[in-house]
Amino acid sequence: RGSGVAAGPPRTRQLQEAEEAAPVFQYAGKAARRKDRVFVWGFSYSGALGVPSFVRPDAGWKKPRRIQPTPYRLETEEKISSAACGYGFTLLASCTRDITKVWGMGLNKDSQLGFQRSRRDQTKGYEYVLEPSPIPLPLEKPQQTRVLQVSCGRAHSLVLTDSEGVFTMGNNSYGQCGRKVVEDEIYSGNHLIHQLKEFDSRVVQVVCGQDHSLFRTKRGTVYACGWGADGQTGLGHYNITSVPTKLQGDIAGVNIIQVSSYGDCCLAVSDEGDVFGWGNSEYLQLASVTETTQVNVPRHLPFKIGKVKEAACGGTGNVVLTEEGNVFVWGYGILGKGPNLIETAVPEMIPPSLFGWSDFSPDIRVAHVRCGLSQFAALTNRGELFVWGKNLRGCLGTGRMEDQYFPWRVTVPGEVVDVACGVDHMVSMVKSFT
Amino acid sequence: LNAAPGRAPRQQIRFLPAPAPGGGGAVELVAARVPVLADHPLVRGPRFRKLKIGAGHRLDVKASGVFVLGIGHGNKLLTDLYNCHLTKVYTVGGLFGKATDDFSDTGNLVEKTTFDHITREKLERILAVIQGTNQKALLMYSNIDMKTQEAYELAVKGLLRPMGKSPPIITAVRCLQFALPEFQLEIHCLHETQQYLRKMVHEIGLELKSSAVCTEVRRIRDGVFTVDDALPRTQWNLQSIQEAIRNCQLKVETELEKTLG
Repeated sequence: RGSGVAAGPPRTRQLQEAEEAAPVFQYAGKAARRKDRVFVWGFSYSGALGVPSFVRPDAGWKKPRRIQPTPYRLETEEKISSAACGYGFTLLASCTRDITKVWGMGLNKDSQLGFQRSRRDQTKGYEYVLEPSPIPLPLEKPQQTRVLQVSCGRAHSLVLTDSEGVFTMGNNSYGQCGRKVVEDEIYSGNHLIHQLKEFDSRVVQVVCGQDHSLFRTKRGTVYACGWGADGQTGLGHYNITSVPTKLQGDIAGVNIIQVSSYGDCCLAVSDEGDVFGWGNSEYLQLASVTETTQVNVPRHLPFKIGKVKEAACGGTGNVVLTEEGNVFVWGYGILGKGPNLIETAVPEMIPPSLFGWSDFSPDIRVAHVRCGLSQFAALTNRGELFVWGKNLRGCLGTGRMEDQYFPWRVTVPGEVVDVACGVDHMVSMVKSFT
Repeated sequence: LNAAPGRAPRQQIRFLPAPAPGGGGAVELVAARVPVLADHPLVRGPRFRKLKIGAGHRLDVKASGVFVLGIGHGNKLLTDLYNCHLTKVYTVGGLFGKATDDFSDTGNLVEKTTFDHITREKLERILAVIQGTNQKALLMYSNIDMKTQEAYELAVKGLLRPMGKSPPIITAVRCLQFALPEFQLEIHCLHETQQYLRKMVHEIGLELKSSAVCTEVRRIRDGVFTVDDALPRTQWNLQSIQEAIRNCQLKVETELEKTLG
């Protein structure tokens, strides 16, 4: 065959010459890089999506968009490496060395996004932030420290840096920010961002539950502070804790490699693939080990499902991912196995064919699982995002308003790298195709 | 066909007069089996004067491959097979660097682009996304309420399929060969036309920030009939046709049984 000229029917010489003389356009060079994008969807009136034109339209005839049912691209200045969705607000963080490392948008009534100075009145702060606005962190070396991860709870947020510990801001009425509870403290317009440095080793993961915080260190220990009425701090009592304290119980001496929480139940995964849980068990999350509805000491959950790689906790249901790539769910609510499975205390596997596995493509595996308050999300190794659960205010991103009883693909124009689930909105970090 | 030995003529029982076994003259009725005269070939004429032949799914002029025909009773089976909505498999060949008005390499040139930035990995990523969106369309057009347990069970087994009219849906795509600027894909689809496949090749080119034309569309499977069952031009004679029909009969019956119940 010739070099790119197909053997078609005999054409006139003029046509062929005209073809060869035609100009060649170049749309992408050999060194074209894949671009990093952020997509958001869900409830927008709180400002959590970061698109001001949804809440305050920029032209008079446009209507405000209450719900964004499908993924919408959010323009960001830097590549976002970590995102977290709280209850009506979002934090985006980039691992850059510039001064601005963290942006926040959404509800700011408890200063969970730090102090955002209002332009109209220089003494007051904004209560709703509609656009990703930089959060000023009191760093000692702002041009060297990098932000590794962010996490958001109901009204507080945590920022993890690589060399300066953990920064906490927002509501502290239960000590969830790791500092002493001040009576009658007014959180709105609060400038205070607390820094936590006293842990036995470097903190590598921070997780926010509804009103408590969990810290996982490099050595595999877990610290907790905040509200404990459901035992979610795991410290053996049901009181609040205002200083991060080490957890004992079944995880003492165990190297924990991942912690997860979003509501009032917490799960931890050890390096050997065991799952430990504590906190609220009203929805049968820990019913495999105990009949009580609150567990205040970490307990080992004896599940025979294989070595667990990752776990995620939602409000009423939990999900784990095993080394083989199987997804197991248990708890209460829409668990992902059809409308008939409402609650189970023992983990049930979701068939891999629902994630795109078939004889034609047998190497599709689920790579990550995430949980929102009443939704679940799974990412496959091909970069596809599957969601299921209650579709609260369009947070699933499927384009429909109905609840989804089994995993359903979300059409995102790119390969999804990570996703953060909130109560009524979701944020995903996506790499473009070419 | 008419020269082949036909059906044996029907037999009938008639009472024929025959001479009695006793003495001469008396005639007795004896039952005898005789062929019916109406069935005699000279009375009846050739058995086959016309053959009803129907065609299965369309294959346009520029494409090639398996084309299913039904003869006689097979026409009714053709309608049943159509209602089964089984997938068809095509090998589609494409060429990067050109865009034409009818998406194939024989059309008028619209644009030429570079293609040296395309890698097999990028192509496979695009194919994965095409499969994903079409999978969603598959579930949506199957007209089953997503909230029922039945929908969940069919989705798990992978049997959820549109059983009525629907736009073209691609159930699976795979890259067979990739040698810049040529590439070859294997596409499993439902309710499609060959021009839609050519348009898809063009759109893959656009998505990869270049352009592509389709050089070859070949159907290698239509429901239960594959290239192995198909007869090439040299075998279009009575013997092979009869043998082919006999070989496929069982397959067709089991498939119809399974899908239509």
